[in-house]
Amino acid sequence: MAKWGMVIDLNKCTGCAECVAACKTENNIAIVGKEQSEMGRTMLWMDILTLYEGKYPDVKVRYLPRPCLHCDNPPCIKVCPVRATYKNEEGIIAQVFPQCIGCRYCMAACPYTVKCFNWTAPDWPDEMAAALNPDVSARPAGIVEKCTFCIHRLQKAKEQAAVEKRDIRPGEYLPACAESCPTRAISFGDLDDPKSEVSGLIRSPRMFRLLEEIGTEPKVYYLSESE
Amino acid sequence: MLAKQNNDLDDGLFYSIEYTSPKFYWVMFALFVVIGFAAYSYLMQIIIGLGVTGLAQPVSWGFYIINFVFFIGISHAGTLISAILRLSKAEWRRPITRMAEVITAIVLAIGGLHPIIDLGQPGRMWNLVTSGRLQSPLLWDVTSISAYFAASTVYLYLPLIPDIAILRDRGTKPQWLYEFLSWGWHGTPKQHHILERAINILMVMVIPIAVSVHTVISYIFAMTIQPGWHSTIFGPYFVVGAIFSGIAALLIMMIVLRKVYHLENYLKEIHFNYLSILLLIMSLLWFYFTFSEYLTTYYGNEPDEMRVFLYKFTGGFAPYFWAMFACNFLVPVTILANKKTRRIKGILIASISVVIGMWLERLIIVVPSLANPRLEYPTGIYIPSLTEWSVFIGAIAVFILGFVLFAKFFPLISVWEIKEGREKSISEVAHRLQSYLPDNHDELEIEQALK
Amino acid sequence: MQSKLVRTLQFVSIALIWIFVISLDVWIVSLLFVAKKLNDSINASVGIGIIAIPLFLTIAAILTYVFLGLRKYSGETESSDSAGGRGTK
Repeated sequence: MAKWGMVIDLNKCTGCAECVAACKTENNIAIVGKEQSEMGRTMLWMDILTLYEGKYPDVKVRYLPRPCLHCDNPPCIKVCPVRATYKNEEGIIAQVFPQCIGCRYCMAACPYTVKCFNWTAPDWPDEMAAALNPDVSARPAGIVEKCTFCIHRLQKAKEQAAVEKRDIRPGEYLPACAESCPTRAISFGDLDDPKSEVSGLIRSPRMFRLLEEIGTEPKVYYLSESE
Repeated sequence: MLAKQNNDLDDGLFYSIEYTSPKFYWVMFALFVVIGFAAYSYLMQIIIGLGVTGLAQPVSWGFYIINFVFFIGISHAGTLISAILRLSKAEWRRPITRMAEVITAIVLAIGGLHPIIDLGQPGRMWNLVTSGRLQSPLLWDVTSISAYFAASTVYLYLPLIPDIAILRDRGTKPQWLYEFLSWGWHGTPKQHHILERAINILMVMVIPIAVSVHTVISYIFAMTIQPGWHSTIFGPYFVVGAIFSGIAALLIMMIVLRKVYHLENYLKEIHFNYLSILLLIMSLLWFYFTFSEYLTTYYGNEPDEMRVFLYKFTGGFAPYFWAMFACNFLVPVTILANKKTRRIKGILIASISVVIGMWLERLIIVVPSLANPRLEYPTGIYIPSLTEWSVFIGAIAVFILGFVLFAKFFPLISVWEIKEGREKSISEVAHRLQSYLPDNHDELEIEQALK
Repeated sequence: MQSKLVRTLQFVSIALIWIFVISLDVWIVSLLFVAKKLNDSINASVGIGIIAIPLFLTIAAILTYVFLGLRKYSGETESSDSAGGRGTK
């Protein structure tokens, strides 16, 4: 069984936010408008954190793309009262949209604050409503959502492989962010396969994970910037 | 004969049940207007979504959760205090217990509804029944609050039965209701025995349940690993705060009802004095817990914890934090520690201050931890919307409505317990006092004298 | 006639209390199976079940004990004048 993971090389990341845009269109993520956005209700499954280091005038700006980290030991699924979020056998933390009652406990429990909430029902401009991705269900108001590693793409890849009676080939299943990254900063693959690209990358001395000290064992790895 | 005389003595307690003044209808009308507005706001929230509140990311819990913790905290006034006073045979409890128990029952129902108001998809509540997970602290709450609600309504109802029988025998309307609820009580010794036995079992049961309720509520926060929440003393800290705010709410209600229903003869200065000393003790205890909680954080000096800590002490929430400190500690201790100011007016000020302070404490627990996530996100300030305010005020109106309605049908002071106090307890207490003292030969003489 | 109706209502209410309590307990037991199915921490579920199930039963038992007891022993003074009589013999 595969264990899907992601490696983001910060040396290559330019902070262009192409991954953010690709994610939004791929997953039919609601667009909330300026006013709501200023209130802090922007919905992003893939976000880019801006980190400032040093003091003015020697400021260094870093960018850190942040999807859901798909922890191996996730604090969010423990607290869900209805199993609207769970870890599947391939390590992906999935959301069951029709099951969620909107208590937002998982949002409060997530140490990375990756979850977002549908504060109102999504409202699409006409030209966009026609272009929604049919593979991803639209969410109603009042439920929690987050990055799923584009699990629908895994589904498709599996079906294709089943038709052709073979296993999934490396690189056949990529989330939208990894696929769209112009500098190929985001790699994605099977962490359990020692020959995969990601398994090779995480052996790098530059490897780190976010908030490693709290023991959540995220499956999104970063390669730090070399000076 | 004696019974008959005493009955007349307490006649005033039935006045508000048997005569309805026009004021009653005005109060009901006003309350329904307020509740109607709150219901309208909530309806809009269901239709539009939680977007009508001031909530956002990362502060995704706000007024509703704060009020949930706050109201459930107030509910500890009642049953817990009443059970402790009964258990410790405090004779001055007699006019107080009923009111305390009523507060619990009403406030618990209100508080218990708040998590549902907070849900984004209340229509999917049924999922909790079919596939609820007992490993989630939210389900611990569901079980423990429903147990407390069941136990405390029963604990309110059982000592009410003899009073209901009095109402039935007075021919008060609606007659069928009192007949239904009194279960044929005629005060026979056997009946007394049964009732007292049941009350005794319940009061022992209700104390651990009450403690569990607020412990489990604190676990909602403490079971996460978020800075400012993940603390081992949260359980007892919440329980202490709950009893603290509960006593304050009880005192306020006692002062108000005494004025409204003219109970000066029953709720005397001494009752307020004793209860306010309890409030003073709880204030000191609250300070001790707060001190331990924040000193460990400060000394440990972990960066994530410190961010929340500084947000409370010097940052955006400093005004609320220090207001809480003044309301919960400085004001009540100054007023209540001084015999001269420990009068009804002073006690009222101290109690109101404590209730406000404890509400602020809930605010300070819920919001700052959410507003300071571990990773660096831009965070806005949480400003509650009109919807949240109106639901809050509506909840308070429901509380008053509950009290007004209860007082319309049942006596607010346990009539039979007052009578029992007059008839039996004076000699009982004398005997009890005697049994505390070292045995000597005079004992026999006193016993004989009493006979 | 009214007292007969009241009596029926009272016994219906006892039945309702038991139905309520038993369905609560059945619910908690069913959640134990849900926990097992979902591979959740079974300890939490069993712990809650052990405390909550007997607790609700006890509350219902106390109520039934009081209700039936009061009914049973109310006859003693029923015929005599009983204006809130305290029965302190």
